Amino acid sequence: MAPATWPVTSAVRRVKAGFARLLRVLLTLLSHYRRHPLQTMFLLTGLVTGVALWSAVQVINAHARASYAEADQVLGAQASHWVRARQGQGISVDDYVQLRRQGWRSVYPILEQRLTTAEQGVISLIATDLLVLPADAATGDSGLAEGGWLQLATPPFEVWLPETLAQQLGVESGERLQLSSGRELPPARLFSREQQGLRAFMDIGAALTVLDQSRLSYLVVAELTVEDEARLNADLAELNPDLALVANQQRLDLNELTQSLHTQLSAMSLLSFAVGLFIVFNAVRFALTSRRHTLTTLRELGVSQRLLLAAIALETLVMSLVGTAGGLALGYGLSLLLLPSVAATLQNLYGAVLDHNLLLQPQTLIQAWLLTLAGLLLALAWPLWRLARQSIQSQRDEPADWQQDARARRRLLGFSMILAVLAVLLYFRLNSIVMGFTVLALILFAGAGLLPWSVALVLQGIQRVLPASAWRLNWACGDGLAQLGTLRTALMALLLALTANFGVDSLVDSFRTSLSDWLQQRLAADLFVQSDTLDIDALLAEPGDWLVESHRRNGLTVRWQDRPTQIRGLNTETSDTRALPLAAESDRASDWFDGAPDVIFANEQARYLAGIELGDRVQLPVEGQTVSFEVVGFYHDYGNPTYQFYLPHERVEALWSTAGEQGLGLWLSDDADALARAEAALTRAGARPGDWTRRDDVLAISLRVFDRTFAMTAAINALTFTVAGIALLASLLAIHQQRLPSYAHWRSMGVSGPEWLLIVGLPLGIGLLVTWLLSIPLGTLLAGLLIYDLNVLSFGWTMPLIWRFEPALTLFWLTLAVAGFTFAISALQVRLRLPQALKHLGEDAA
Amino acid sequence: MLRLNQVVKQFAQPDGDVTVLNGANFHLPVGRSAALLGESGSGKSTLLHLIAGLDTPDSGDLTIDGRSSLTLHTNDWNRLRRDRLSLIFQQYHLVPTLTVLDNLQLQARLSHRLDTAFRDHLIDRLGLDGLTRRLPHQLSGGQQQRVAIARALLHRPALVLADEPTGNLDEDTSERVMGVLVDLVRETGSSLLMVTHSAHMAGFLDEQWRLQHGQLRRLSGA
Ligand SMILES: Nc1ncnc2c1ncn2[C@@H]1O[C@H](COP(=O)(O)OP(=O)(O)OP(=O)(O)O)[C@@H](O)[C@H]1O
Ligand SMILES: [Mg+2]
Repeated sequence: MAPATWPVTSAVRRVKAGFARLLRVLLTLLSHYRRHPLQTMFLLTGLVTGVALWSAVQVINAHARASYAEADQVLGAQASHWVRARQGQGISVDDYVQLRRQGWRSVYPILEQRLTTAEQGVISLIATDLLVLPADAATGDSGLAEGGWLQLATPPFEVWLPETLAQQLGVESGERLQLSSGRELPPARLFSREQQGLRAFMDIGAALTVLDQSRLSYLVVAELTVEDEARLNADLAELNPDLALVANQQRLDLNELTQSLHTQLSAMSLLSFAVGLFIVFNAVRFALTSRRHTLTTLRELGVSQRLLLAAIALETLVMSLVGTAGGLALGYGLSLLLLPSVAATLQNLYGAVLDHNLLLQPQTLIQAWLLTLAGLLLALAWPLWRLARQSIQSQRDEPADWQQDARARRRLLGFSMILAVLAVLLYFRLNSIVMGFTVLALILFAGAGLLPWSVALVLQGIQRVLPASAWRLNWACGDGLAQLGTLRTALMALLLALTANFGVDSLVDSFRTSLSDWLQQRLAADLFVQSDTLDIDALLAEPGDWLVESHRRNGLTVRWQDRPTQIRGLNTETSDTRALPLAAESDRASDWFDGAPDVIFANEQARYLAGIELGDRVQLPVEGQTVSFEVVGFYHDYGNPTYQFYLPHERVEALWSTAGEQGLGLWLSDDADALARAEAALTRAGARPGDWTRRDDVLAISLRVFDRTFAMTAAINALTFTVAGIALLASLLAIHQQRLPSYAHWRSMGVSGPEWLLIVGLPLGIGLLVTWLLSIPLGTLLAGLLIYDLNVLSFGWTMPLIWRFEPALTLFWLTLAVAGFTFAISALQVRLRLPQALKHLGEDAA
Repeated sequence: MLRLNQVVKQFAQPDGDVTVLNGANFHLPVGRSAALLGESGSGKSTLLHLIAGLDTPDSGDLTIDGRSSLTLHTNDWNRLRRDRLSLIFQQYHLVPTLTVLDNLQLQARLSHRLDTAFRDHLIDRLGLDGLTRRLPHQLSGGQQQRVAIARALLHRPALVLADEPTGNLDEDTSERVMGVLVDLVRETGSSLLMVTHSAHMAGFLDEQWRLQHGQLRRLSGA
């Protein structure tokens, strides 16, 4: 044997022995979990629930981003240009074929049509030629990859209906939809493409045949270079002077637009992740303290501190892997549940349509997993570090624990002061949503750090004023103080959940009130008409005595600051315009009402997101050149993702020949049959049923949309609260489990059941009360920040904060119920185990 | 005061059932003290648990303070322990968050039998003056055990059960603590049953009993 190999084999043997020792220690440690299945369950529950919500939102965000990216390519809503006929008569198929022959491969045809079904339902249909779509757009679509287009494009053809639309229409897969014209659509297939929205989709050839049409609605043009644009213009002029190349003013960068919402979602899910981490932190601490004896014994047997730490780190890693895997699985399920709400929110706020089939990429999962592990290690670092610093001696030394806790409380207080100062400093430099959420997080954690100290303060205060005869209360407070160290994490988690709930409740409440006030004012007319076929002139030429007042609006969309921007023409004389409440106005605001040509009103979005001020001049594009206006007022415009300007009706008409009707408001007389006569007159003038809506219906629909939009917020909040509830339950069960020998001893001295309830329950009640009380100012602060700063940064809306006590009261009852329930469970556990504990009274605490 | 009649107690163990008490008989008159000797694992602690109602015998019955264990339910046991018994263990079982004073008054308060004059007397006799405002972890082991003794006696129990009360203390200290305990028990007129490993300690008490093969046998005494 060569002498050189000898040290190598010895090193290998040493490493092997090291591993064997590590494994032995690990197995010894893990035996604890086998004997305490409940503790194991809660450690895992904490991990799983905490990770679940977080990863659910991650999955949804990734899905949304993927959807937008795909949507940019498909179907034309995001096209860079359109080819339209100047007179609105559509484009002949021949012209389209000719264009393609000339080599315009990035031009594709669209047929859009509103169809009335035999049952008077209205659907809109969109058709295109899937074969000529850009290849990358087509392959991104599973329906096409499966060769679904063959059924679409060959007789008997197919019409693809989104599931929700099919439900509304009562159409089953394979059924044919009857139209009021007597025709019928091809068999339905329940399938929806990105950006299809609530529209039926067909192959263009099929649609032309089935609907007996010969003209296309317009052509969509994908990305064009400047030279190409000029060339295409020339080709079009030569081919057919009626055709015009129009830039897509509506094109939105969905990614950018929806960024703020996704940031908010992430922030909320992070909060629940933080709550989950609290649970983990707690569970690990319990696992360590209740195994203190095992650990000490191992140390005394000569196991090195380093090996012990390695074993514990390894153990946690094993736990984390198991827990996060469960969390990710649950999160995926949760994201399926949340997706409809998120999709509704996105559609309502931004008109962005998400597919209901979740797009899940492996890297999303891995990313979520890695982030989770990083968070976990953070939660673990502290207890491990403490353990590493403890000497063997002090590990046996229990009473010192709760004495040390006072120092920990003060340290937390100092920490929270630092966070608060940071929050204030950052607040004055607030200019982005991410920064806003950082401030929010700082405030939340500052509040959480304040909590243990506050609870201790209250308990000590009570102790101080108690007479000596109230020794039970005194004992209860002292015991509560001693338990604060073990309970505080759960209380802090609960505080986070309560604060977030109260803050967001207040926000939603304020928003709902503002929105409904605003709607009441804006929806002043009794009837709103939006119709392609109505002859408004004819209607208004000879109105009956059912009409009191009418307001006809016109408008168009232009591109301003590289965003689609709406211009609306208002009748300056009507009562609703006269009563238009302005969020801000300059002294020239009255000029607007007098019809001055150079003044304009802008919505708040233009004020806060585009950064214009009163007195600023805005340049709007008017057929090739620009016209300048002075901004003299800002109005609220909730729920609108785009910039908008108000001008007098005549002004819009004079400046933009392309301006179209933007709806008609009708005020009806008080006659009982006014509505019926109005409807008759509308029908005579060419409007179709469904073209008009009654005021109350619009209001109801708007508020319903609002509620749907915030359903997700409520869902996430409820889930966070649930996670906090689980944290509390886990803590109480662990605490009681650990203290069972003490309780047995109390019982042996004659402490009765009610006395036990008082001693253990009272401080818990006080802790919860302080937590709840603290959540009110913190939640108010949160709501204020959300409303006055983050909302403005994200959406460009302002509204007053409407503070109400009711949500706090509801949360109080909810907390009471959750705490009562968890306490009852843990008390039951004590009751069941106490006899066993009594039998072991006097033995060394295990 | 205390009478055991054919008490049997078995435990299920991985290696088969163990009969710890096998028809044990015992009698302790009012005001007398008895030492219980026996090898480790012979069932001394088990016996004390049965007497305190912390565990139940498989068969046989015991009479304590004139009441038969057959008629005592959980709540009766709770009340009996609170008012008429006290337990002293090797680990002093002081409530760590209460001061020495509150700790030693605890059981007396729970049983509404706090006699402040007697309390001050106990504090004095046990040498706890000047320590009453401290917390338990600020005391030595011997001091803590003296607090536990004061707590066990302040409500003037009928029967004191002690399981190796001085097992954690050095010989000198434990002898002194034992001495005071025995004196005070005599003073209060309580009965005392004490488990000990030391024949020397056992000598302080009125009677000596040995637990062996599940049976109790009186060794000597008047
Ligand atoms: N709860 C229990 N479950 C099962 N076996 C038990 C239980 N309690 C005690 N034993 C067994 O009963 C026997 C008597 O135990 P006990 O604690 O009464 O002994 P001891 O005389 O007090 O011993 P030591 O002097 O060491 O304290 C032992 O064999 C023990 O293993
Ligand atoms: Mg024993």
